[in-house]
Amino acid sequence: MSTPNALPYHDTKPQGAPDFYFETNARFRFLIARLGHEGWVRYLRDLGKSYYAPVNNQWQSGGLAAVAQYWRDFFAAEPGAKVEVEEKPDRVELDVQECPIFKQLRIGQREIVKEFCQHCFYLGQARANEAGMEMRLCGGNGSCRHTYAKSEAGLPPQDMSEIKEAQL
Amino acid sequence: MIGCYDFCGHYEWTFDWLDREGGHELVRAFWDEAINQDSQIHARELILNEGFEGMAKYWGHTLLEESPDLGFKITKQEDVFRVDMHDCPSKGFLLRNDLEQYRDYCDHCMGWIGPLMKDAGFTINHEHNHCGQCWWEMRKQGEPDADVSVGATSGEADVRLREEWTQDAAHVDAYRKASDPDGKHI
Repeated sequence: MSTPNALPYHDTKPQGAPDFYFETNARFRFLIARLGHEGWVRYLRDLGKSYYAPVNNQWQSGGLAAVAQYWRDFFAAEPGAKVEVEEKPDRVELDVQECPIFKQLRIGQREIVKEFCQHCFYLGQARANEAGMEMRLCGGNGSCRHTYAKSEAGLPPQDMSEIKEAQL
Repeated sequence: MIGCYDFCGHYEWTFDWLDREGGHELVRAFWDEAINQDSQIHARELILNEGFEGMAKYWGHTLLEESPDLGFKITKQEDVFRVDMHDCPSKGFLLRNDLEQYRDYCDHCMGWIGPLMKDAGFTINHEHNHCGQCWWEMRKQGEPDADVSVGATSGEADVRLREEWTQDAAHVDAYRKASDPDGKHI
């Protein structure tokens, strides 16, 4: 199998199928319509704590180096991603120059859920907290910056107004 | 970010979350509203407008993208469109990675394809063995019962000729002239 090494689940092909991004957008639209914003956030937090537990455990034991390696391997397996991962002494920063999901949703001319970019924060923060870290996000709508840091780094609280709404 | 590399893992996890949140009806609604009517609108447009030809275009593209090793065979005839899935990339991912939260992942295909085919004027004969093998036959609504015996439509490509089809761990769910994910008879 072709195996990005820090990922907990492995496939026989080196990258995923980009059409699956259509489902992620549709999934969020359904959850928000049926369960409201609060229900969608609860879903993302549960997903972060449960489904991603193997990764969270890697982060907890491996620290920032494990976080950086995970994201390098993660984006190598996502078709169309242009992302720089930088490991600093007290944090890891992801410079997402081209979000692969937005790229594909725009190719497919899909109506993007306007809160779409918030999912990276709610999911990322839930996962980081499980590993004793914090996550912050700024930007969105196709390019953004993620910061993962240990709690003692003292990141300011997330300002939700720094997360952009999605547009086609 | 939620990725597509391990898509089948968090997709399958989501079915179980929805089931716990809102019961079976919420899962069914998800398959129909989020998948059939939203995510897969490209499939809907092709199949509603072009019938069998649209099915060939959709599954020809999708299965090639998801299964570049060609673990499937498509058979298109005047009165039937058939897929023999010999090595499902989706279920295979779950099996290889030991991921199972929801009680029957395979039901999701009938969950969105069933309502789509109903809207497009087709019925489905289908069986899946929960081990990464299945077959589908789409025919126009109102036609008499078809011969679905082994090899009748796809000859030697019929997935039921594989040893794995009846492996000990397998139990087969079957649908006849169906469009509802709960319409299986075993």
